[in-house]
Amino acid sequence: MAEARRIRMLIAKPGLDGHDRGARVLTLGLRDEGMEVIYTGLRQTPEKIVQAAIQEDVDVVGLSCLSGAHRYLFLEVVEQLKAKGVEDVLVIGGGIIPKEDIPFLKEKGISAIFGPGTPIKEIANYIKKTVKRK
Amino acid sequence: MFDKDRIAEIERKRKEWEEGTLRKSLERFGLKQSPAKFYTPANIKDFDFLAKIGFPGEYPFTAGNYAFPTTALAGSMYGAGGGAPGALVRAGIYSGYGAAEDTRDYYIKTQAAGPNIAFDLPTQCGYDSDNPMVRGEVGKVGVAVDTLREFEVIYEAFVGGKDIDRIASNFTINAPANIIFAMYLALADKRGIPYSKLRSTPQNDILKEYIARGTYIFPPRPAVNRMFRDSLVFLTKYCPNVNITSIGGYHIRGAGCTREQDLAFSMAIGIAYLQTGIDAGLDIDSFAPQFTFNAFGGSMEFFKEIAFQRAARRMWAKVLKERFGAKNPKSMIIRQPIGAHMGFENTTAQRPLNNVTRAVVGGIAGALSGGPPAVAPPYDEPLGLGWSIEAQQLQRDAVMILLLEAKLNEVVDPFAGSYFMESLTDEIEEAAWKELDKIEAMGGAVAAIENGYMYREVARSAYERQRRIETGEDLVVGVNCAIGEGELEVIPPRMVPHPYDPVKREQAEEKQIANLKEVKRTRDNREVARLLRELEEAAKKEEENLIPHFIECAKAYVTEQEMCDVLREIFGEYEAVAI
Repeated sequence: MAEARRIRMLIAKPGLDGHDRGARVLTLGLRDEGMEVIYTGLRQTPEKIVQAAIQEDVDVVGLSCLSGAHRYLFLEVVEQLKAKGVEDVLVIGGGIIPKEDIPFLKEKGISAIFGPGTPIKEIANYIKKTVKRK
Repeated sequence: MFDKDRIAEIERKRKEWEEGTLRKSLERFGLKQSPAKFYTPANIKDFDFLAKIGFPGEYPFTAGNYAFPTTALAGSMYGAGGGAPGALVRAGIYSGYGAAEDTRDYYIKTQAAGPNIAFDLPTQCGYDSDNPMVRGEVGKVGVAVDTLREFEVIYEAFVGGKDIDRIASNFTINAPANIIFAMYLALADKRGIPYSKLRSTPQNDILKEYIARGTYIFPPRPAVNRMFRDSLVFLTKYCPNVNITSIGGYHIRGAGCTREQDLAFSMAIGIAYLQTGIDAGLDIDSFAPQFTFNAFGGSMEFFKEIAFQRAARRMWAKVLKERFGAKNPKSMIIRQPIGAHMGFENTTAQRPLNNVTRAVVGGIAGALSGGPPAVAPPYDEPLGLGWSIEAQQLQRDAVMILLLEAKLNEVVDPFAGSYFMESLTDEIEEAAWKELDKIEAMGGAVAAIENGYMYREVARSAYERQRRIETGEDLVVGVNCAIGEGELEVIPPRMVPHPYDPVKREQAEEKQIANLKEVKRTRDNREVARLLRELEEAAKKEEENLIPHFIECAKAYVTEQEMCDVLREIFGEYEAVAI
C-alpha cells in the first residue's frame, strides 16, 4: 500500500525583517515532527513566496514577520495565492503580531497566528489537523 | 598558589565528605549525584593569580578594564535629592520611527541628550523609501533615511548647545554604514564642525548580520575587505572620537547560539575586523582603541554570565597582545556599554512583571562581573518596544538601588579567587578557544560564514534550546512551569500612551515617498549622474577608499539606494545559505 505523502511546508520570511530564529527553529522542529519543510531564507517578496509554494507543491505556507509590516505582507501573499488559483493551501503566520491585528489577518485568510512561546508540537498538531492533503 | 600538602589533604578530606556526609544526603533523597556542586582549592590548585587575574586596569584585564569602574562613583555623582547624572553625556535610548520630521519631533519632545538612531529596514538594507519592494516597511522599525535631507531634518533637534560636537550620536547601521555615516559627515561639513570633534558609534558590524540579524547587502568578502576597511582607515585618520565598530555577540546569542559560541564567534569577528587594519598597513595601536563591543549575550544563568565576562576580557586581551602585538592597554580592553545581563530574549510576554525580577538578576550579574548593573530591558519589552515610561523608571531606579543601597560596585571583581568562579571562567574560556581555533582553521570568520558553518550552528543551538524548553529540561517560570490553576496572571495596567504617534507611523511611508520625490526634483540631477559614474569608477579600484566619494554624493543629495546600487553591481549581493 502506498505511503501517505508527508505534509509539505514552506516557511517564508516576507519583507526585510532579518530575525529568523523562529523560522529556523520551526524548520528544524517540524522536520522532526515528520514534515517536509523548506525554508526560503530572508528577503522574500510575496511573488517569490507564492512562486516557491507552487513550485514546491506545498500543503502549508508559514509566514514569519517581526518588523510590523505583517498586515501588508501577509495579505499580499494570500491575495497572490488566490490570484494564481492556488486553493487549499493552509496559510499560517507568526512573529510579532499584535493581538489587535489577529482578527483582521484571520478574516483575510490566515488560518492561525502562533506567537512567541508557542510549542512546536502545538503548531505541528494544528497543521496535521487542519491541512487539506493532496 | 596553594601548598601541595594542603591540597593533598583537602582532596583526601573531600573523598571522606563524599563518602560520608554527602552520601547520607543523597541516600535520603534517593539520588546518585548531588544537585549542587561544591568547590575547594583543589579545583584550582595550579592557579597563578598574577597570570590569570592580575590587577584591574592591567593585562589580562580579567578583573576589569580600569582600576575601578566609574559606577563606583555613583554616590558622588547623584547625591541626596539629586537627579541628573554628572558629566557623562551618553547617547540616549535607541529610538526613531516614521519620517525624519517625526523622529526630530520625538527628540525635541523628549529633550533627548543625543540621538541613538534606529533606522527603518529599507534604510538598513540599502533601499530607498520609494522602492516598491519595500512597501509596508518604511518608517516602521526606525526612521526612514534616503538622503542628506533626512539627517538635516533629524538634527534640527540638535543645535546650539546640543550641536553635534557637544553630543554623542549612535547609529545602528551596518551594511550601508559608510554611506549613512557619510551623511553625518556631510552634515558636519555644512555646520562647519571639524570631523575630529565628532563623537559617535556607528554599529558597523556586518559579519553578525549574516548569521543573526539579517540586514546584509553585499557578500562578506567585499563587505569586510572594502567597506569595513574603508571605515577603519577613514575613522582612524579623521575621527579619533568616533568608534569604528560596535561588535555584537549579543545579537548572535539572541539568535540562539550558546555562551561559548557567542564568545568564540565574537572573537573571530573581531579578529577579522582588526586584520583589515593590519592589511591596510596601520599599526594595531593606532586603531584598536576605537573598537568597541555592543554587548555580548546574556542569560539567566547568573554565575556563568559573570564568568563569561571575565573570560571575554582575558581572551580579547590575549588576542590583542599575543596575536596582534598590541602595546597600548587601550587596545586590549573590551569597551562596552553594559556587561553581563539577563539576555533580552529571555523576557516573557507571560506575566511580564516577572521580567523586572529577571532584569534585576541580570543587573546584579553585571555589577559583579566588572560592568555596570544593566537592569535591562524594561519589563514590558515583549509587549512592544519603546512603551511605558513607568517600566523605564523602574529600570533606572533598580540600577541606582544596586549601586547606592546594595553597594555592588564597592569591590572590583569580588569573585576573584573564588574556587568556583575561577574554575568556571577557565572552562568557558577554554571552550571558546577551542571553537575559535576551529573557525580559524576554516580560514576565519568570513570563511565560516561563507561555508554556512556559523549560521547552521546558531540555528542548531536555537533549536536545542527550544527542545529543552518543550521537554521541560529548561524551565521558564510562567511559560512552562508555575502555570497551574492556582497561579495568578499578574498583568500590569498600561496607563501611559505610546511615545511614538501611531498615526504618524502609518502615514510615514506616503510622506517620505513625497519628500524623496521633492528632493529628486530639486537636486542637480546631472551632478548626481556624474558623481555616480565617479563612484562606479572608484569602486572598481581595490585600494580606493569610497567614503570621500560617499560624502560628495551625500552633499548632492544622491540617495542611499543610488549609491548602494552602484556597489551591488560591483560587489555583488549576498545569497543566503539554506538549512
